[in-house]
Amino acid sequence: MSKQDIKTEEKFMSHNAWFSIFMGVTLLIISVYPMLKQTSVPLLFIGGAAFIGSFFMFVIRGGFTWKLGYRLTYKDEFLNTIDTIAYKHVVLGLLFSMGAIFLLSDELALNVSHSMMATFYLALMCLIYGVSIIWQSRD
Amino acid sequence: MQNNIAKFRKDKGLSQQELADAIAVSRKTISTVETGRFIPSVIIALKIAAHFEVAVEQLFTLDDND
Repeated sequence: MSKQDIKTEEKFMSHNAWFSIFMGVTLLIISVYPMLKQTSVPLLFIGGAAFIGSFFMFVIRGGFTWKLGYRLTYKDEFLNTIDTIAYKHVVLGLLFSMGAIFLLSDELALNVSHSMMATFYLALMCLIYGVSIIWQSRD
Repeated sequence: MQNNIAKFRKDKGLSQQELADAIAVSRKTISTVETGRFIPSVIIALKIAAHFEVAVEQLFTLDDND
């Protein structure tokens, strides 16, 4: 594996983590705000636009070149390890949040749509993945 | 497990990035191995030992918890 490949992977992982956090926060706002305010349509448009804007900003800033392609694993041993651990954190976080939602479900059921809950779970997964990667790759 | 990688690296006047480039791993691999947060594979351990021209046992030592 060349030096350039490793540096590209490091850069990709770092940007990927920050992108996950940014996307998680955006999705959290899209899902939680309408639950509190009993409205959904205008914020979904604004949230959707913010998400698409942020996505392209990260594509340009992050240098996600097409030649990098999509891989399920990182070739660098450390990056691959923390990526795997981050997915474990995501699964644990999802299980705990689903457990909490299960306990609160009677109070939430009338106000929240399935799409909002799906967005909420996706937001949590993105946030946990991003934070886990940043936390594990600290010096 | 404890290791003396930081000592050997500093004796040779290398930065973490230079050592990482020399054995084809990421800088964070070196950083986290040095601080003991990541236990490297045998392959990486052997590569580091070969780079410093020492035995692996000189770089890594087991402690009571291992």
